[in-house]
Amino acid sequence: MNLNIDNLWVLDVAGTEIWITETIFNTWIIMSIIIALAIIARIKLKSFKLVPTGFQNVVEIIVEVFDNFATNALGKNLSYIAPWYFMVFVFIFSSSMFSIFGLRAPTADWATTFALAFASFSLMIIMGFKHQKGQYLKSFFNPHFVFFPLNLIGELAKPVSLSFRLFGNMLSGTIILTLYYSLTPLFVQFGIPALLHGFFDVIFGTIQTYIFVIISIMYVESAAS
Amino acid sequence: MRSEIVFLAQALPEGRVFALDNQTFISSGIQLLNAIILAIALTFILYKPVKEFLEERTNKIQNKIDDSDATMAKANELIAEYDKKIKEIDKERMEILEDARIKAVAESKLIIDEAREEASELKKRSLDSIVAEKKRLQDETRQYIIELASLMAKKYITENMDNDTQDKIFEETLAKMEDSQWQS
Repeated sequence: MNLNIDNLWVLDVAGTEIWITETIFNTWIIMSIIIALAIIARIKLKSFKLVPTGFQNVVEIIVEVFDNFATNALGKNLSYIAPWYFMVFVFIFSSSMFSIFGLRAPTADWATTFALAFASFSLMIIMGFKHQKGQYLKSFFNPHFVFFPLNLIGELAKPVSLSFRLFGNMLSGTIILTLYYSLTPLFVQFGIPALLHGFFDVIFGTIQTYIFVIISIMYVESAAS
Repeated sequence: MRSEIVFLAQALPEGRVFALDNQTFISSGIQLLNAIILAIALTFILYKPVKEFLEERTNKIQNKIDDSDATMAKANELIAEYDKKIKEIDKERMEILEDARIKAVAESKLIIDEAREEASELKKRSLDSIVAEKKRLQDETRQYIIELASLMAKKYITENMDNDTQDKIFEETLAKMEDSQWQS
């Protein structure tokens, strides 16, 4: 494992240099896997039965549990944005699981976490204006207009804190595992790392996925209501 | 400005853990685009169809539950109706039994009365018949005794008796025979 995010290709798009990093490539792999699984589920959906079994159970549980969770957290009037958070949930969780195979999780790159946090921030602003209209803008001047700079910084800090929280947690696991693989002799690199992967990738990954999604939902919900 | 994508052949820039520069924000933009593509794909391929399937199934189950409730209510109504009918039938049965009992009692009373009357009639007829028979026998016996006595008297008188003695003997004999006959 390498601590750095390697660049795989460099593209020149209209005179602008674009680095295709390991993160972006891994994201594409994860996307491909998720979309392939979704297509399989979609094909099998035609033969889904009234009483679910096996694969149908797994698909139903994933969608139903998340939908109930998102609808409860967002409320009925905002439930139409639940599919976005479903993607966020699935992507962050899959990224953490991706790390089990010794590959770099896309969420261990601030570019990814910032993109997700920025999307949540944008949703927060859009939903705030859509549902509260002028009241949302007015809330920046509460309780007095002199608090506007503080409120503005508070709002802008949200995507930053959100992105750095996930990035820091995922990177910490990556650093510890990289150090372990780099500093230990070969004979202890079998078996024992499974525990570390289980802890940092599975447990931390699941917790951080939940935290990122619930905080993002809370931001959007509080802006809209 | 050429608007085309070119793979640069130069040496790749060195990797890094974190940096706040243009490339990071370009990567963020690409990741945001990836996220949007993934969100659209997941929404239309998996999330919405599965949710629709679940809602459809929930509605189907709800309809079945509603149908079952309606059937149950109907069944309960039928049960109540049948219970009512059974109670009415029981009542009717009791009334029929009571009527039959009353009729049976009346009829048995009538039969007994008729039987009694018939028995009484029979008894009366028998008694009458006995009395008539007794009278007939009495008359026949008396006639026989008279004839017998007459024969004896005639014989005696013929042999050795005068008229007065003959009458006296006849009367005494007749009286004695009558007494002894009726006492037996």
